[in-house]
Amino acid sequence: MVHYKLIYFNLRGRAELARLVLQHQEIVFEDFRFEREEWPKYKAGTPFGQVPVLEVDGEPLAQSNTIARYLARQHGLAGQNDWEQSQADMYVDCIHDLIGGTRPIIYETDKDKQKEMFQKFLQDVVNPHLQKVEQQLIKNGSGFLVGKSITWADLAYYSFFSPMMERLGEAILDITPHLKKLVAHVGNIPQIKKYVETRPKTAL
Amino acid sequence: MPGYKLYYFNVRGRGELSRLILHCAGVPFEDFRFEGKDWPAIKPNMPFGQVPVLEIDGNKMLAQSHTVARYLARQHGLAGQNDWEQSQADMYVDCIYDMHGTMRTPTWETDPVKQKELFDKVNEETIQPHLEKVEQHIIKNGSGHLVGQGLTWADIAYYAFFTTPIMTRLGGEVFTKAPHLKKLIELVGSNPNIKKALSSCPAPNTKLINGHCSTE
Repeated sequence: MVHYKLIYFNLRGRAELARLVLQHQEIVFEDFRFEREEWPKYKAGTPFGQVPVLEVDGEPLAQSNTIARYLARQHGLAGQNDWEQSQADMYVDCIHDLIGGTRPIIYETDKDKQKEMFQKFLQDVVNPHLQKVEQQLIKNGSGFLVGKSITWADLAYYSFFSPMMERLGEAILDITPHLKKLVAHVGNIPQIKKYVETRPKTAL
Repeated sequence: MPGYKLYYFNVRGRGELSRLILHCAGVPFEDFRFEGKDWPAIKPNMPFGQVPVLEIDGNKMLAQSHTVARYLARQHGLAGQNDWEQSQADMYVDCIYDMHGTMRTPTWETDPVKQKELFDKVNEETIQPHLEKVEQHIIKNGSGHLVGQGLTWADIAYYAFFTTPIMTRLGGEVFTKAPHLKKLIELVGSNPNIKKALSSCPAPNTKLINGHCSTE
């Protein structure tokens, strides 16, 4: 049995997708979390001075999406063939772009400006993307983003939109009923539900 | 051989890595480039309203620059020899993606004095620390390549990024502390298929700048 150690801040952040992949497949792993003040202790030991890092029997792998993709591929959540794997990669890259889009908003200190930035982001970036995703979901026909069953792409959309719905209300996905249904479905998967209920409560 | 059509603007940007992978692997493809004014007509037909997009056999479309590049690398033997090597290659390409992001603000700065300051800051805070780590990894790997024993799309990604924008903006001294990476980049640049790619200019209204077809 391979030993996994996932190293990250005590946040959901860029490690949560990997955690969800492992939790969904019920893989035992060491969920190593540290507080911000402890970071200088660990930074030098990482491949590129960043986290998350996944140690696989002690060998390090860096970069959040690379880690999540590796785990998804090793444990049957990546898609059934090369084409499906690429479709899943594509969706996860879309989420990566959306996460990138939220960063200037998160770091804005003026609360009014922040609210304005977020509304603009929803209107100009998120909603157009959601409309495209809804079309793709309908076209795919299975209820999942890729192929006939759940992949890490579905977990990525859940991971991004579920906290947003909690903060802003479920109505933000009303324009995409199929995606809304998919996010709810993922949230109700027993091992995901249990993990989300018991994971540390963190701001990000 | 599948029929590939790569849709992207007539610039290097986010299409270049896929183009270089296809050229390097000797795979024919339609390098469909368009100007900014043509984009509004093309945009609605793209899966997420963005490019690059790879269209395969006229009926399947794949979006997202790194997904397209990874797919092509995997289909044509440039991704790594096993799952672990493929992930190592993915990891390096993600690093390039992050560094590209840090170069954006300085690139758009119009004041040349401020721009130089911003580029120097990115070099000091991001590029040099990264090079220090990568140099150690290349030495440890032992083959001269980033991953495994041979060329992967990770080497090509480093070649593309470090020739332009890095050497263009920061000069060759950027490699002072990274001789192994410098050697790798020269090795990729001397690959006959890469050389051929850089000397071809298929699109109208383009010129060769630093060996690349560009309107920049």
